[in-house]
Amino acid sequence: MTLKQSILIAGLAWLAGVMVVHAQDAAPLDADAALGDAQSLEVDEAMARAEFRSLDEDVQSLKKEVLDLNRDLFLLEEELLFPANSQVAFFISMDVGEYFALDSINLKIDGKEVSNYLYTQREVDALVRGGVHRVHMENLKVGEHELVAVFTGEGPHVRDYRRGATINIEKGIGAKYIELEITDRVTKQQPEFVIKEWE
Amino acid sequence: MIARCLKIIALALTLALSPTGVLAAGSKPEPTVVKDAHYGEVLFYFYQEEYFPAIVRLLAAQKQTQVENHIDESELLLGGLYLSYGHHKRAAEIFEKLLADNVEPEIRNRTWFFLAKIWQQRGYLAEAQTALNNIDKELPKELEAERHMLQAQLHIDNSNHEQAIAELQDWPRRDAWANYAKFNLGVAMVRSGQVNAAAGLLDELGELDPLNEEMSSLRDKANLALGYAYLQDGQPQAAKVPLNRVRLEGPFSNKALLGVGWADAEVNNYQRALVPWMELRNRDLLDSAVQESMLAIPYALAKLDSISQAADHYLNAIEAFYEESHRIDAAIGKIQSGELMNSFIEDRQEKTTGWYWQLEELPDGPESRYLYHLLATHKFQEGLKNFRDLHYLWRNLDDWQRSVDVYRNMLSTREFAYNERLPMVEESLAAADLDGMVQRKLDFDARLKSIEENGDSLALATPHEFELWGEITAIERNPALQANIPEADDVRSKVKLLKGALQWTLDKEFRARLSKIRRNLRQTGEALVETQRSRRQIDEKMRTEPLLFADFNGRVEGLSPQIDLLKARVETAMLKQRGFMEGVAVDELQAQRQRLDTYTVQARFALAAIYDLAASEATVGDASQ
Repeated sequence: MTLKQSILIAGLAWLAGVMVVHAQDAAPLDADAALGDAQSLEVDEAMARAEFRSLDEDVQSLKKEVLDLNRDLFLLEEELLFPANSQVAFFISMDVGEYFALDSINLKIDGKEVSNYLYTQREVDALVRGGVHRVHMENLKVGEHELVAVFTGEGPHVRDYRRGATINIEKGIGAKYIELEITDRVTKQQPEFVIKEWE
Repeated sequence: MIARCLKIIALALTLALSPTGVLAAGSKPEPTVVKDAHYGEVLFYFYQEEYFPAIVRLLAAQKQTQVENHIDESELLLGGLYLSYGHHKRAAEIFEKLLADNVEPEIRNRTWFFLAKIWQQRGYLAEAQTALNNIDKELPKELEAERHMLQAQLHIDNSNHEQAIAELQDWPRRDAWANYAKFNLGVAMVRSGQVNAAAGLLDELGELDPLNEEMSSLRDKANLALGYAYLQDGQPQAAKVPLNRVRLEGPFSNKALLGVGWADAEVNNYQRALVPWMELRNRDLLDSAVQESMLAIPYALAKLDSISQAADHYLNAIEAFYEESHRIDAAIGKIQSGELMNSFIEDRQEKTTGWYWQLEELPDGPESRYLYHLLATHKFQEGLKNFRDLHYLWRNLDDWQRSVDVYRNMLSTREFAYNERLPMVEESLAAADLDGMVQRKLDFDARLKSIEENGDSLALATPHEFELWGEITAIERNPALQANIPEADDVRSKVKLLKGALQWTLDKEFRARLSKIRRNLRQTGEALVETQRSRRQIDEKMRTEPLLFADFNGRVEGLSPQIDLLKARVETAMLKQRGFMEGVAVDELQAQRQRLDTYTVQARFALAAIYDLAASEATVGDASQ
């Protein structure tokens, strides 16, 4: 093969190697394929694809098994650490959030601090869009308990804002879910903090 | 309900396919109405694009029937989460089940399109084609063009160039995709030998007025493709026109300069050919066009009878190729030592990669400069995603392995404490005669009933009153009081008065005391019932607690080997994936190395020919003297 021939084959190989270009992933020129010809390139490509697929199928299968195992382990952990009879879960939710930008939440049960959670912007965005955050889990005995939640953040007019809310929880037998909801009180242009049992 | 389902799936699909999340800039988020706390919790992770924990929580909530108010949505959400997480097989299973007939065609078709796109990228060509075939109506405008492009790509992947041409021909729209379609059509035509037909298309593209860098790049590509197609077809003069249109500083300029030189060389104008080739000499040797120019220059010089200069250039080229080959060898060694793949997981990413994740930059290292164009390939990017996902799974299992050990210890401690306390509890329970208490309560009930029926007010007297009553009746029975004397009469009447007063008090208080005692008895009854219930609970607990321990122990002992087994399988898969990725990278470098070897051989051969020529000329010269 002459020098000139090899250069021209490089040109052909380039044409063979040029993939369909998509607007979002326009790639730099594939300038490597000087030693292949179009046919062998396609064969190599097909072989690599088959190998990739075989590996990908393994990964898919492992993902499924690990996810299923995680589900079982997650349930085991929860049942072990927070048995249904004594379990109380505390959830934070947000409705609108125009008048309050959440920074942190502090929870006290029967006078004892049990949680102090600092929120990232990403988490706050998730709350605003309807996500509900399980901020704390606790084992409580049957009977009455006092919950104090202190919400800290930025209130109307970009001012630091700190508000508390209190509720007495009657813990019976069976799991209990408490919702700490931050809502907007439009009439007063103020945030409102409501603690209630999740229905 | 349907509307809500559609919203969720649209959201899932958008999230799955948008690197920046769901929302366009400036748009306002529309919150989801959450009726089950656990469903909201899944959304909390979903919105943060933390797909793995979101899926685990949703699977757990479904198993615990904690998302009963969102049954349909949660299944669709699960499909979307799987898709976002890159678990396309499970996603497809869910969508196939749910999208059969109860979902709007637009959503159904959109879902099939996205699945086809994922499958094409991962090399599941048959599945991708089936998914595309499932689309039964035109997609929204922004996706319809992409669908045709995807179809053409699938034809090309399957080496069906004619079908790709048919797909791309008569592109119906004048949209953003039209130029790409034209380019692809041109390339497909060149590849199937229809150079002249392709020329018109590529020429048109090569003259377009680019609006942005992307279009400039496409224009350069079209010109380059057309130029080389002409060169290949033996039309060097025609080739120069498009090649000269390629930007001098763009990513394709090296190849274009090389081509322009060859176009001149083809018509034996080596003087002119040297101009673009000399320009290439000062550029990055990593580029194959630059490497080729190092051979092309002495080739032209030799043709121009500058033999000595040609020999110098060949020697320079051999030297440069040698050094570059040496560097490539070192880079290959580094990749084979595993350093490259380790650097991809050094950040111990806390999150799963997600389907849209892409490596933007290669890690620092001497091998990286040779691998940049691999970054643009699906094979490399998707393989890297799998590698990182596997690493995430490994770490997840490793964490669980340690947690399960802790739980095992916890359980054993609890069991020990339970067994230690059990005899004391049993002793206390045995001492508490609950049945006796119940019998006494029943006796009290009977006695109270008799008191009430007989109006026995004395039975409800206080101890003091009872004592008084005893004293009065004792005095009454005193024989001295029976004497018939005025003093005895006086005392008798006083005793009678006292007794009457006491009786009056007892009668007056009788009802109130009766009610009070009855209330106390009722409360005692309630307390006894509560005590009996507690006792039953304790008995039940004592019966079930060992079973519960056995259940927990069984689960821990059952899950623990599963973790070990899966971890080992993940490790094996990681090794395979690592091997595949390293193979891809090494193949890339070896191809570059092999090309340099070929060039070196050609340079040596040409140099030898020059020396032979020089030697024969010297011999001729000597002979003539």
